Amino acid sequence: MRSGKISRRAFLGVARSAAIAGVVAAGAVGALAGYLGGSSAAPPKTVTTTMTVPGVAEPLKVGYVYVGPVGDYGWSYGHDRGRRWADEHFGLPVKSFYRESVPEAEVGSAIETLIDEGAKLIFTTSFGYMDATAEYAEKYPDRYFVHISGYRSGAAGNAPENMSSAFAEFYQLYYLNGLAAGAVTETGVIGYVGAYPIPEVVRHINAFVLGANYAYKKRTGKNIKAHVNWIFKWVGPDDARKAAIALVEEKNCDVLAFTEDTPAVLQVAEEYQKKGRKVWSFSHYSDMREYGPNAHLTGQIANWGPIYLDFYRMVATNSWRSVDIWTRIGDYTPYKWRRPVEQSTAGQPEGTVYLAPLHPAIPSEWQLLIKQRYEEMKELLFEPFSVEGNLGEPIRDQDGEVMIDRDKIIVSKASGEVRSGGRADHDALWSMDWFVEYIEEPLPKL
Amino acid sequence: MPFTLETRLGRIRVERRVGYGRLYSISMTLLSLAIALLVAGLILASLGLDPVAAFQVIFGVFMKPSLLLESIKQSIPICLAALGLSIAFKMNFWNIGAEGQLYMGMIASTGIVLLHSYYGLFNEWAIMPLMLLASFLLGGAWCLIAGALKARLGVNEILPTLMLNYVAMLVVEFLVHGPWRDPKGYGFPLSIPFPDYAKLNFVFGEPAYTGLLLSVLGAAAVFLLLEYTKPGFEIKVVGQSPAVARYAGIRVRRTILLGSFLSGGLAGIGGLSIVSGIIGRLRPGASPGYGYTAIMVAALAGLNPWVVIVASIFFGGLLTAGGALQMSMGIPRAAAQMIQAIIFLMILVGEFIKRYKIVLEKPGVSGS
Repeated sequence: MRSGKISRRAFLGVARSAAIAGVVAAGAVGALAGYLGGSSAAPPKTVTTTMTVPGVAEPLKVGYVYVGPVGDYGWSYGHDRGRRWADEHFGLPVKSFYRESVPEAEVGSAIETLIDEGAKLIFTTSFGYMDATAEYAEKYPDRYFVHISGYRSGAAGNAPENMSSAFAEFYQLYYLNGLAAGAVTETGVIGYVGAYPIPEVVRHINAFVLGANYAYKKRTGKNIKAHVNWIFKWVGPDDARKAAIALVEEKNCDVLAFTEDTPAVLQVAEEYQKKGRKVWSFSHYSDMREYGPNAHLTGQIANWGPIYLDFYRMVATNSWRSVDIWTRIGDYTPYKWRRPVEQSTAGQPEGTVYLAPLHPAIPSEWQLLIKQRYEEMKELLFEPFSVEGNLGEPIRDQDGEVMIDRDKIIVSKASGEVRSGGRADHDALWSMDWFVEYIEEPLPKL
Repeated sequence: MPFTLETRLGRIRVERRVGYGRLYSISMTLLSLAIALLVAGLILASLGLDPVAAFQVIFGVFMKPSLLLESIKQSIPICLAALGLSIAFKMNFWNIGAEGQLYMGMIASTGIVLLHSYYGLFNEWAIMPLMLLASFLLGGAWCLIAGALKARLGVNEILPTLMLNYVAMLVVEFLVHGPWRDPKGYGFPLSIPFPDYAKLNFVFGEPAYTGLLLSVLGAAAVFLLLEYTKPGFEIKVVGQSPAVARYAGIRVRRTILLGSFLSGGLAGIGGLSIVSGIIGRLRPGASPGYGYTAIMVAALAGLNPWVVIVASIFFGGLLTAGGALQMSMGIPRAAAQMIQAIIFLMILVGEFIKRYKIVLEKPGVSGS
């Protein structure tokens, strides 16, 4: 019976020597043993790598930590595009490098290797890196750290002064996508493939559904129906695909928005279009038109470059101050004022967040409204999470409770705090824990 | 354990080499290392990169204090889980569930912190000892489920331990999305950050040193248990032959329960080292597969607790080196992982060739 197999003991015997060989590998450079013996006994000293003062000839070294592969065509790809954009527009010598697909528990070692490489400025581009970024900001007060999509910074008072935070916010664009969706849907049912039920994704879903309801109700007098399918992944093209197909086949959705870092959902829509069934989807973080030229309605695109460049300049000119940046439509544009609809830049690259080109299938009167809202939002003259964004009606959650009314808002279900003002404010957007009434599935509490 | 394979050419047989000298052993190890570097170098060269510079980066990880400290920090949960696995594997109990036991350890540690922060239970000085105890108990209990199934019903432990990993991860998801969510965390699925007295940094204020101390204590405990105590001896006998164990009057079922409990318990403490040493709060996906890496480390170390410490630091270093390589050479993560894998594989193959020889027997020549 046993003769055909390698026994456990024999395998382990082999493996044991392999371990010793591994140690020999380290020992061969004469490092490990000596170092361990020496420094585990000695008190730790702050180890500083030699740094030359950056002059004109000395390039600014910038390190980036990405959560996904740069080839995902979504989130991490978007950040890498931003990195290259900032390098290109900096005008002074700069050397930037990155680490991709870094698990959240390993961000510490990623930051250490970036610092070892001489990085003066470090960008950590996933929410899960937030605490580690603050920790290393404290450990290395002579380096500068920028965390993307979190809420800790020196400016916010919950991190060291050499840490800033930044985010390019999409909810306004999701509302515009919703207008486009409501303008083209034939079934009156739209779908959303969601990554995780966190406030960022929840407000994007709500904004999308509010926009769709606005357009659909104006067109038909009926409310939109929306379905949400969660995949519990940021990068999961296979799951996103399955979720998208289920929304089309089982729920009869004909417009699909998504939060997932690849073009998988758009590709599903394109396949349906080629089979003659009208299913639409969007760009997300990058221009994804090539993945679904027939199904691409519009979408939200981010250019992180201007934000990054801002920090490059601060560090290079010794003018750092901790900031908490949250960009929306119109920010980082040279001309932020509302343009007349005919001159609207909607569909063209500008600033840090902008709309993807509009598909001609969107009826022209709705294209005009989308452009009008886009221009108005540059000056915050229009807010999706307001009575105005919902055909003059108060915005209700799935229990029928009024969350946003003409003169007051409820910050979140969890807090129950009532504030005056007819628009969702920063805290309400940042802790959104409820679904608008037009969504069929309850928000998972898990 | 002669391994034989009948082929048309004849019978291929793998035999244990006997009585080889130390010089042979060392030179074979160096040779396999050299081949590993050569193959890795060829791959790097085919990517248009300078192999020598790449190797400098890899070895640099073990030379530079800041990077070595990071490697050690990452090695702590791997090491503690692998120590637990050493006990289980010695008992021939194939615990594939260290990952889940790590998560249960994290849950237990976080639970103690929350009991203190939310309800004011316990004194501050008692928090860390209670966290150690709770993570040990809960990690142990998680493994004990599979242990009890095996001892009572004769269920093979591989599937229950493996599947309980997913259950443990979902329990974490449930807790941080639900009752344990940080009320000030803008709804993100995270627990509150651990206060300072719940951080694993009481040796020189550095988690790596504290964790290393924990690893050494753990290794000493496992060593003493297996070499100098009756239960340890019984665990080993059960592992080698349950029949013999029963004949010798060892209570096999009870030994399985004890061994699996201790195995999960050590992994549980590894979970504590993640939340309280590396991350500082409970979150989903806190362990990027440390529990699975621990299986390799335990096997690589031949279940010797002292070698486990070194092997896990070697692995932690390789993880860090992969990242350093990616960045300074600008190669994709997948290529960096490939190079790690090649080095590991070559060392393993070299050890096999060192210990065994492969004999081809012509048809009709061999007897038996």
